[in-house]
Amino acid sequence: MKGRLRHSLALRIGAMFVLVVALAAAGLGTYLYRAFVAEIERRDDIQLLGKLRQVQILLGRPGAAELLHTRPEFFRDTMSGQENSLVRFVAADGAVLADINAAGERYPVPPAAGPAPQRDAIASWTTRRGDPGRVVAGSARLDSGPPGGQPGGQLSGQLSGQIKVVVARAYGERSAMFARYRVRIAAAAVVSALAAALLAALLLRRGLRPLRVVAEHAALVRPGTLAQRLAVDAAPSELRPLIDAFNAMQARLQEGYARLSGFSADLAHEFRTPVANLLGQSQVMLAQPRTAAEYEQLIASNIEELERLARMIDSMLFLARAGQDEVVLARQPRTALDELRKMADFFESMAEERGLRIVCAGEGMVLADPALLRRALANLLSNAVRHAAAGSTIALRVRQGAGLTELSVANDGAPVAAAHLAHLFERFYRADSARSDAQGSTGLGLSIVSAIMDLHGGTAAVHADGGHIRFALVFPDR
Amino acid sequence: MPILVIEDEPKTGDYLQRGLAESGFAVRLARNGRDGLALAFEDDSEIELIVLDVMLPRMDGWQVLEALRANPATAQMPVLFLTARDEVQDRVRGLELGADDYLVKPFAFAELVARIRTLLRRGPVREDALIRVADMEIDVFRRRVRRGAVTIALTAQEFSLLQLLAQREGQVLSRSLIASHVWDMNFDSDTNVIDAAVRRLRRKIDDPFGQKLIHTRRGMGYVCEAQPAAA
Repeated sequence: MKGRLRHSLALRIGAMFVLVVALAAAGLGTYLYRAFVAEIERRDDIQLLGKLRQVQILLGRPGAAELLHTRPEFFRDTMSGQENSLVRFVAADGAVLADINAAGERYPVPPAAGPAPQRDAIASWTTRRGDPGRVVAGSARLDSGPPGGQPGGQLSGQLSGQIKVVVARAYGERSAMFARYRVRIAAAAVVSALAAALLAALLLRRGLRPLRVVAEHAALVRPGTLAQRLAVDAAPSELRPLIDAFNAMQARLQEGYARLSGFSADLAHEFRTPVANLLGQSQVMLAQPRTAAEYEQLIASNIEELERLARMIDSMLFLARAGQDEVVLARQPRTALDELRKMADFFESMAEERGLRIVCAGEGMVLADPALLRRALANLLSNAVRHAAAGSTIALRVRQGAGLTELSVANDGAPVAAAHLAHLFERFYRADSARSDAQGSTGLGLSIVSAIMDLHGGTAAVHADGGHIRFALVFPDR
Repeated sequence: MPILVIEDEPKTGDYLQRGLAESGFAVRLARNGRDGLALAFEDDSEIELIVLDVMLPRMDGWQVLEALRANPATAQMPVLFLTARDEVQDRVRGLELGADDYLVKPFAFAELVARIRTLLRRGPVREDALIRVADMEIDVFRRRVRRGAVTIALTAQEFSLLQLLAQREGQVLSRSLIASHVWDMNFDSDTNVIDAAVRRLRRKIDDPFGQKLIHTRRGMGYVCEAQPAAA
C-alpha cells in the first residue's frame, strides 16, 4: 500500500484532496459550533439578567414584601417564566427570605453586583445531574408597604430596605442540543470527506486521461510508427512539455533509425562492387588453365579489392562507434601549425607528383585528440590532393577565434555544384559518380571527418566559391 | 624455437602456418585453446612465441592467456593476440592480462610478421651506424647515402623511408607499417601517399642505376633487397 501510495499520482492527489476537504469541513464545523454555542450562551445570559431585572422591578412595587412572604412563587411565575428558574431572596443580614428551589439544587451565591449587574457578574455552577448552570445576584429595594400604598404591617421592619436577589438557571436541555449539534457537524465532515473522495476519483480519472493517452501512444511506438506524433494542441498546458519532449525523442529516434537502416542499406550496396569483382575475376580466371603470372595478377588484384573492403569495414566501425559515443577522446593541446606541417609533409610526395604545392600558415593552439585530428586532416588533404587542379596550391591554415580554433584545407579545382555541397559529409555521397572508382576512396572519408568533429564538440563545414573549395574544422578551445 | 599458433578457424590457421613457415619461422599449430596450452606447457616444445586467437572454442584466448601467465615456465612468453573485436575495453583487458601485442583482423600479413619479429627482438633490424645493401651505403648518423661513388641527396622524409626499408632488408613492409614508422600516422590512411613517397625515393635511389634495390610486392608492400625477386 505504501508503495502504491508513493507511485500512484491519482492516489496521492486524491488522498491529499480528501484530507484538505475533511480538514476544511472539520474546521468550519468547529468554528460554526463555537459561534453557535457562544451566541446561545450570550442570549441565555441576557435572559437571566432580564429575569433578575423583572424580579427587581416587582420587588419595588407596593405590597411586594407581603407577596414575597405569602407567595414567593409569584416572582418566579411572573417572569416569562420557566419552572426551572431558581430565585432566592436574601436579607441584608444574610437571612434567606425566600428560596424557590424545588429540586433542591445547590449553587454558589455570588456577591450582589448592584441594582443593574452586567454579564460579567454572572457565575457558573453545575447541577447535581452535571448540567451547566448560571447564576447572578443583584440588589433590590423592597417596598414593604401594603398593596394599595399604605405602610406595611409586622413584616415591614424585617423586610425594609435593601435585599439581595439571586437568580439562577440550569441548562440541561441546552447541553443536549449542543451534543446533537456536535454529532451532526462531525457527520457532515465525514460525509463531505467521502463525497470528496468520490469526486476526486472521478475528476482524477478524467483529469489524468491525457496522461493515459500519452502512455497508450508510447506503448504503440514501433520502428514503423515513429512518424506518428502526439497532438500537442489538445493537451493541457502541464502536459505540453512532456508531450513536446516525447515527440522530440521520437523525432530523434526516427532520425537515428532512418540513418541506421540507410546505413545498412548503403553498406550492403557498397560491398557489392568489391565482392562482385572478387567473385567474377576469380571465377573467370579459374575457368581456363592460366600461367603462374596470371594467377599472381589475380591474387594481387583480389588483395586490392579486399583491402578496400577492409578499409570500408574499419571506417564503418569507426562511424558506428562515434555515433554511439564509444570512442574515447584523449584531448591534448597541440600547436596547430605543427600538425598541419606534419600533414603537409606526409602528403608532399603525392602532391608533388601532381604538380601541387602545399602551404601552411597561421598560428594557434588546438585542443584535440592527436590521432583523430590527424585522421580528419588526412582525409581532407587526401581529398584535396585528389581534386586540386594540376599546378595549383593547397592551403592549410590555422585561425584562432574567440574560444575556438579553425583549421582549414583549401584547394582550387573543378567547381562543385551547390546542390552537392550540403551532402558532402554524408556517407557514400559522391559529388562525382566517376570518383567512386578512384582507388582508395571508400566514400566515407568526409563522414568520418564530420564524426570526428562531432566527438570534439566542434563542426566541419565546407565553403565553395567557384572552383575554390575550403573545408573548415572548428575546434572549441575547451 | 617454434612459434605456436592457436587458431580455430581452419583457413586462418592454415595460412598463418604456411605464411610464417615461409617467412622463416618454425610453426606449431593448435586448433583449440586446450591443445594449445598443452603444447605450450610441454617441456621439449621450446615454444618461443604464441600467436593467440581470442575467440576459441571451449577455452577462449583470455583463459589461455591467464593460464600461461599463471605458470612460471610460460609467464614471460611473448603472446600476440589476434582478434576481430577491437573495442577499447578488449584492448585494455588483453594488455592487463599480459598480452604483448594486439592485432585486429583483417590485418596485412607483412604486418603480422613485422610484429612477431619485433617481439622476438630478432629481427633482421640492423642497428648499425653504416647499412650496406649491395652497392648502397647508408651513414645513419651523418644521414648520407651513396651508391658506389655517387652521393645521393635525400630529403629528411626520403632518408627516414630508406633507412626503415634498409634496416629491415629482405622484409616486406606493409604500407600501414611504413606510414606509422615514418610519419607517425597510425590509421589506415590514403595508401597512395606511401606509393608516391616510394616512387620518389626510387627515382633517386634506383632509377639512375642498373641494379634496383627497392621492390614492390604487389598486394603486400615494399621490400629492400639486393636480389631482384620476381615482382
